[in-house]
Formats: sequence, structure tokens, C-alpha cells
Amino acid sequence: MTLGMVFLILAALALAGFFLGRGRALAVAGGDARRLHSLPSYFGWQAVLFLALPALGLTALAAFGGVLRHPATGWVALGLGVIGMGAALWNTGTEVRARNIVETCVKGLLILSSFIAIATTLGIVLSMLFETGQFFRQYQWTDFFFGTVWQPNFRGGSDLGILPLLWGTLYISVIALLVAVPIGLFAAIYMSEYAGPKFRSFAKPAIEMLAGIPTIVYGLFALITVGPMLRDYFAQPLGLGTSASSVMTAGLVMGVMIIPFVSSLSDDIINAVPQSLRDGSLGLGATQSETIRLVVLPAALPGIVGAVLLAASRAVGETMIVVLGAGAAAKLSLNPFEAMTTMTVKIVSQLTGDTDFAAPETLVAFALGLTLFVFTLGLNVLALYIVRKYREQYE
Amino acid sequence: MNVMRQTDDATATAEIKIAAKGVQVYYGDNHAIKDVDVDIADRTVTAFIGPSGCGKSTFLRCLNRMNDTIDICRVEGKITLDGEDIYDKRVDPVQLRAKVGMVFQKPNPFPKSIYDNVAYGPRIHGLARGKAELDEIVENSLRRAALWGEVKDRLNAPGTGLSGGQQQRLCIARAVATSPEVLLMDEPCSALDPIATAQVEELIDELRSRFAVVIVTHSMQQAARVSQKTAFFHLGNLVEFGETGQIFTNPRDPRTESYITGRIG
Repeated sequence: MTLGMVFLILAALALAGFFLGRGRALAVAGGDARRLHSLPSYFGWQAVLFLALPALGLTALAAFGGVLRHPATGWVALGLGVIGMGAALWNTGTEVRARNIVETCVKGLLILSSFIAIATTLGIVLSMLFETGQFFRQYQWTDFFFGTVWQPNFRGGSDLGILPLLWGTLYISVIALLVAVPIGLFAAIYMSEYAGPKFRSFAKPAIEMLAGIPTIVYGLFALITVGPMLRDYFAQPLGLGTSASSVMTAGLVMGVMIIPFVSSLSDDIINAVPQSLRDGSLGLGATQSETIRLVVLPAALPGIVGAVLLAASRAVGETMIVVLGAGAAAKLSLNPFEAMTTMTVKIVSQLTGDTDFAAPETLVAFALGLTLFVFTLGLNVLALYIVRKYREQYE
Repeated sequence: MNVMRQTDDATATAEIKIAAKGVQVYYGDNHAIKDVDVDIADRTVTAFIGPSGCGKSTFLRCLNRMNDTIDICRVEGKITLDGEDIYDKRVDPVQLRAKVGMVFQKPNPFPKSIYDNVAYGPRIHGLARGKAELDEIVENSLRRAALWGEVKDRLNAPGTGLSGGQQQRLCIARAVATSPEVLLMDEPCSALDPIATAQVEELIDELRSRFAVVIVTHSMQQAARVSQKTAFFHLGNLVEFGETGQIFTNPRDPRTESYITGRIG
């Protein structure tokens, strides 16, 4: 019996079980639902749950055990389900607390869902750890973390130093944040404190639209418009280089991309500052600007820091804009008009094309990924720490 | 209009601080305050009483132009502070609010330290010439708000960590610190327990020696306890205004009598 058949039969049985359970409960109560502890439909749901949980549980076990395709699996699952449903129908009476049983099952479902989310994160980390361990068995970890040259060579003898990539990632992210934080924050302040409802209702969705543009489109914008413009009007006149791909190009365009992350969240946070605080400040003879600077922004600061760090982790993880805007050359340089690249770009380039998953040149991608993960995790922990610190001080 | 002028009390000699004449307030199409005339005497507590929605808070907020912050609100008529029209174009509402301080219904300390809360106004208006002078202003204001003894050892603790009554006294200290000439209080005790209320009421009585105080209250007992003059508002009209004793013992308008005996409101 195929898996699809099993699920179809289970669905039909569940439908039947619901009405059977409900009908039986009503029959036990002599047609008067008020004599039952729980509403009749709870007895119906009890039957459905007792049918579905064992059957689906067994299917999941079979999937992990690798015997999902075995013909007996379907039959055993159905059998277990039917036994469960029978137990549910037998467990019917005026004193039976079907409502509590169903609600316990639902709670279990909620716990399971959150556990799956956590387990997935854990799984990702573990798989990265495993592959990274493989990499470090073939490549000296000091050379990886402190190496200043990135020169993978699939014939062996590569230099896989992370520093040029880390530098590129940080450089581009910092430029992006320098663009996005002031613009996003100022836009948020204008929108929440000064703008009329009419302008706000038009401008807020317009800014948020920036977040909906695919990053590859931003990349094209960087490649075709921003890059050549920066080269022609800034880099060449200043004698800083002739490359259209540059840290500056990618940083500027990425900054534009993350403006809505800063502005939209900050706007919500500023709006959440109670009006009574503004009234208090205005009532003391402060101007609107003083009120914003001295009362509203400090009160909203923890949330704003959170918004900025969220934007930062977006910037650190961005790939497409970097490929098209900053190029793929791993370099350690201070010149913002030179082409550089980031960890994410190199992860992609090490894993595309003909790859041998035993070679350090490929496995290095996992080490890079894990470093990136630790990095963003650190950012989040820092954000939490800052938010907590200010909370304690202010509440 | 039935405006009663004071005649025989000691406060009759006090000069008039704020004079309102023919004040109309509109919220969009809603006519919230209808032709109100009130004179607020200096160094006197004036209470505004009346049922919810009668316009007493709205009128209070006209006196320091807080209604300017509401877009749909329109004020007509003439309100003068020391003979100067406060709705004149040359008057900066920000400057006005420094002179006419306000304490709100719910305690609203800023998320800053106790010291910074009180120092907020003086810092903005540049009232202190140095750290020592600012310390002095903060201490005096807290003393005047009867809070110094309770907080002097923890001036750097957050103001939001105080109890409700302490927070409200902190807000009063904050308002006092800018050395206003008039203090407006919008139901300052409605969020406080009886003990904190008693403390704040005592404080209001002391503040009277330096400022003109205008208090909006729902509690008629409170109006009777703290004020020398009382104005009764009903449906946007000023029904009766006179000596507190006279309003509560011998009201001239039947609507006032109904309200203070508990039949309307």
C-alpha cells in the first residue's frame, strides 16, 4: 500500500471517527448534551486524535528508521490508528473529561512545534560543525583564522586565510550601516513625530517597498548605475582607482536596501513611546525637537539598537549585491574604491561548479558559514544585552 | 453666563493672573467649550469641577496652549497672562509653557534618573549657571514637592522605579523646577491611593504660597479641601464660578446644586 493511500484512508477514518465519537457521546448522554462533562464535539476530536497520533507517529518513526517504503508500514499504521480510535470510542461517558484530553493533546502539539524549530537550528549547527571539523583536519586552523591571503587552488596548495573575507564583510557592512542608520532613523523620526497621517499613509508603504525588491535587482543597480558613477565622479578624479566594482558601491546599495529595516522598526518603536511622556516634556516648555532628542529617543533606544543590529545581520549575510557591486577579489585594503569581497560570496563560489566534498577548498565553505553564524549570533547576543541593560535602567 | 465674582474673601485682594474672556474651543465640528469667562487669581488654588466630558480638562489645556498639539482643535476668544494675550502670534507657546507648568493625570516621569527628571526643565531653559546651581535647583524643587527626604540618597535611581505617589510628586517637582508662575494640574490624584492623595493635597496647599494653582478634579471633597475658588463646568458651559465655600454651601445655579448633591454627573 502506498503512503498516499494510507493518508487518504486515515483522512476518511478521521472524518468518520469524528462523527462516531460525537454520536456515541450523545447516545451515552441520552441525547442531552448537558449531562456530559465535555461538549459532544470534544469526543469527536478525541477519536480523531487517538486515530491520527499513533498512525502518524509510526509513519514518522518508519521514515527515520528507513522502512517507510516497506509494504507493512502502512498496514501497521492503519491498525494502530484504528485501535486508538476504538479506545477513544470506548472512553466515552458522562464523566469522561474529553475536553481536557483534547486540550492536553493540543498543548503537546504546540510543544512539538517549538521543539522542531529549535531542533532545526541545532541540526544546522551540528552539520556545520561536523563539516568544519573535517576541514580543520586537513587545514591548519591558525592559517585559516590568521591567514591574510585567500587563494584557493583546486590542484592543492591553496591559501585559505579568512582575514581578507572578514575584512571585506565588515567594511561593506559598516558602510551599509553608515548609510542606512542615519537615513532610516531620521525617516522614522519624521514619519512618527512630524508627518501628517496623509503623508504617512503614503510614505511608509513606499519605504517598505524597498525591502520587497529582490536583492539581485539591487545588484544590477549597483553594477550598471552606481558602480560606474562612483568610478567616473569620485574614484578616478581622486585617483583612487579605476574599478567600477568597489566596496563603496556595494556598501551604498546595501545601505539603501536595509533602510526599511531600520526605519520601519524604529518607526513602530517610536510610536510605542507613550504620548504621556511627550506631553510631560512639552508641558515643561520643551520644543518638539528637544522632546524627541531628550525623551522619545532615549526611551526608544533599546528597540532602535535592536533594529540596527537586525539590519546589521542582514548586511553581513547579503550576497548578491556584493557579487555584482564589489566583485569577487579577496583583498585586504583600506581604499573603499577597490574591489573586495565577502564571506558569503566565497561560500557560493567554493560550492559551485565541479566540487569535491573531501577537498579543503570545498570544505572551507562550511568553516566560513560557521564563522558567519557565530558572528551573527554574537550580534544578536549583543543586541539582547544592550536591550536588557537599558530596560533595567528605565523600568 | 453666570459668572460670580468674588466679593468678600481675603483672596479678593490677590491680583488676577490669568483672565479668560469668551473662550470657545472646537474639536473639528464639536463645540467643546462655549463662551467661558474665568479669572484665575494669583497665589490661589482654583478648582475646576464637573462631570466627565464637561470640558474642564480641555479648558485647562487652553491655559498653556497644550491644545496646540492637537491638529483638529481650534481655540477662540481671549486668554491673557499678566494682561498679555497668550494666543497672540508673537507669543511662543514653548516659552509660555515654561511659565505655565503642567502636571498630568497619570504620573509620567521620564525614563531617566530622579535627578535628570527634575533637572530636565532647568537644563532646557538654561536656568542654572553650573553644576552646583543645578544641584541646588533640584534639591529645592524636590524639597518643595515634599520628596527630598525620600529620594536624597538615590538621586541616580530611575524615576520610574518610584511608587505612584512618589512619581506624581516627582512630576510636581519637575514642573516646579522651571520656576513657573502658574501650575496647572489635570486630576493629579486620580491614579493615587488615599495616603498619596493626602500628601499631594498638602503639597498643593503649600505651592499656593508661590504660584497660582489650577486643579481639575473629579472629587468634590478634594475641591472643597484644597481650593479657594471653584468653577463648575457642565456640557462645555461654565455654570458657576465663585468662592469654594459659597459654591459648596450655597450654590446659586440649580445645576451646580444638582451636581454637588450627586444628582447629575
